[in-house]
Amino acid sequence: MSNSVLSVISRFLEEYSGTTPTKLKVVDAYLLYILLTGALQFLYCLLVGTFPFNSFLSGFISCVGSFILAVCLRIQINPQNKGDFLSISPERAFADFLFASTVLHLVVMNFIG
Amino acid sequence: MNRSKLLGLFLLSLALAGAQSLTPSHHLSLSDVGRLQHLLSRPFTDLQSAYYSVVGLTKLGAAVPDQKEVCQFLKSQLNPTSIDSLFFAAETSKAISGCEIPVSNETRDILLAAVSEDSSMAQIYRAVGALSSLGLPLASQEVVVALTARINKEENVMGIILALQTASYLSQQAELGRILEEIEDLTARLDDLGGIYLQFEEGLEATALFVTAAYALSDHVDIEPPLKEDQVIQLVNSIFSKKSWDSLAEAFSVASAAAALSNNRFHIPVIVSALGPATVSHNQPTLQLLVTDVMSQALTSAKVLVESAYAVASKSNVLSQTPFTLNDGVFELNFMASKPASGYYQFTVAVTGDSRLVANHVELKVKVSTEVAVTNMDLSVVDKDQSIGTKTTRVAYPSKAKSSFTADSHQNFAMSFQLLDVKTEQELTPHQTFVRLHNQKTGQEVVFVAEPDSKNLYKFELDTAERKSEFDSMSGTYSLYLIVGDATLENPILWNVADVVLKFVDEEAPAAVQPKTLYIPKPEIQHLFREPEKKPPTVVSNTFTALILSPFLLLLILWFKLGANISNFSFSPSTILFHLGHAAMLGLLYIYWTHLNMFQTLKYLAIIGGVTFLAGNRMLAQKAVKRIAAEQSSRLAKYRSLR
Repeated sequence: MSNSVLSVISRFLEEYSGTTPTKLKVVDAYLLYILLTGALQFLYCLLVGTFPFNSFLSGFISCVGSFILAVCLRIQINPQNKGDFLSISPERAFADFLFASTVLHLVVMNFIG
Repeated sequence: MNRSKLLGLFLLSLALAGAQSLTPSHHLSLSDVGRLQHLLSRPFTDLQSAYYSVVGLTKLGAAVPDQKEVCQFLKSQLNPTSIDSLFFAAETSKAISGCEIPVSNETRDILLAAVSEDSSMAQIYRAVGALSSLGLPLASQEVVVALTARINKEENVMGIILALQTASYLSQQAELGRILEEIEDLTARLDDLGGIYLQFEEGLEATALFVTAAYALSDHVDIEPPLKEDQVIQLVNSIFSKKSWDSLAEAFSVASAAAALSNNRFHIPVIVSALGPATVSHNQPTLQLLVTDVMSQALTSAKVLVESAYAVASKSNVLSQTPFTLNDGVFELNFMASKPASGYYQFTVAVTGDSRLVANHVELKVKVSTEVAVTNMDLSVVDKDQSIGTKTTRVAYPSKAKSSFTADSHQNFAMSFQLLDVKTEQELTPHQTFVRLHNQKTGQEVVFVAEPDSKNLYKFELDTAERKSEFDSMSGTYSLYLIVGDATLENPILWNVADVVLKFVDEEAPAAVQPKTLYIPKPEIQHLFREPEKKPPTVVSNTFTALILSPFLLLLILWFKLGANISNFSFSPSTILFHLGHAAMLGLLYIYWTHLNMFQTLKYLAIIGGVTFLAGNRMLAQKAVKRIAAEQSSRLAKYRSLR
């Protein structure tokens, strides 16, 4: 059983590194980073407690929000999805990503306390 | 038939409402009159004071001492050229007998010249007064003309009052109608205070002088003044409410008003008051009333009768149309002769005999008090299951039961007695019938109420088990007292009836009972401040901070491995500006966290963001152009190679 799982995973990794353009891999790395940061924050909260609860929330929501925005960016700049986003050029997607991130971080800084 | 009945009832109720008119709440008692006289008897140093003192005393009916010396004083102080001086001297000399002020032709001319439109009202008044008192001839019609002209010019209250006074000196044939109307106008200018007082805002002196002048003029022309009964009483209240007078002039005005109100042809206010407390009993069976005028002079010619008297409690009529008898200046009625039960009675007293009497229907509350006797006092100890027959001991007032009674938790202590009126042998229900148990050793006392049953027999039962909480379960000997009291009882009773030994089941407090400690300092409250939340140790926090920063390292490594680079960085101004602006925005976010508030941040963000947006727009547009050009050229190359 584990054998098949392992083989699926290795196949997936092969396909991924082969077919994905570099641009997308860069964004994926960023996504992984955000994910790890959020998970670690959650772990800390579980272990130690929610003492400055607002700080925990702002940090966690920052991770979640950034993850979502990065996913949106990735979808929009993927050349395979060009047909779905005819009016949105990659530059436009990037600009949207930046603007939304700014708003998100403004709210997060407000809440961090 | 029904309609006329209703109408009759309506008119009757109106009449009754009218009968509930105002009665005077203030008047001059004998001591007030004495004080007024004392004030007016002070030695005087000038003619005006002499006038006030002498004429004031005469109005109060008091004798003026040393009349010859007064006359000498007047003659020596007289200034024959001053109208005021002449007026005071003349009026004062008229008040004392055998004093003649010498008059010359110049004097007469001066006085007559003062009677004109050009003199002030006060001058006209004093001139006319002097002329009249000195017995000099007076042209009344000229005076009327001058007065009428002055009234139109001087609208103030004092001026018009002086005009009224002046008119009372004139001949009755003169046309005084116009001046008489001023009484009504002045009445309208009085201020009504709470329906009880009626006075001028100029003060007590003006009000008192107005009353004097109005009645003087009305008597002179024999026309009733247009003052309603209630208004007269309100004026009485205002004038006589002040019992100490600031100046001689004020005292004089009050004396004049008192004289005017006790002796005029139209309105005599009547003061009815009980002599001492309005209480009758067997020892004092007569109700004594003082019926006087406002100066406390007895109205001996009046007839006083009780229109109706009814008991307040039962509303039953006791007396009707019963006259009082005059006995040595006091009106008496033997109320106990009609054998009233004890309690309060509402009397309506009417004073008749003179059509001028005002406020002659008075309501009076009379108390009939009596003596009480306690009879048939039976004490017993009853077993709760009532299996053992009760043994009742009768105790006679005021002796005490010889043996004490014992009651424990299985027994009840019972007491029954009757309260009778000594004279009429009727049962009474006084307001206070208490049974007091007093522990001789500890000083504790418990009070209960004895209640009468339907036959007015008082019963008291002490259930030892039920009531133990009130005694704090202290067993011991208690003295039993009976307390009887009421406002209508002349002999309240405090009677130590017996001693009762009470045995309670569980003795909780063997020590002496402490009085309830209400006023000692209470235990201090320790305030607990809100404890700060427990924070994790610094080591843990630091570890996790490092842990959270580690994925960033991972990111950098991954990017490096992927080959992400900034080789395409074009150093155009818009690119540089964009990156600077973006860095500034991130810096602003940090500063917002540390220093600023939202409003300031938004302001700065708008500025920096605007710049960044424009620069970024430019930069991305350039990038897009480059990308499209690259795509086109690659497509062209592909197309060419396919060909």
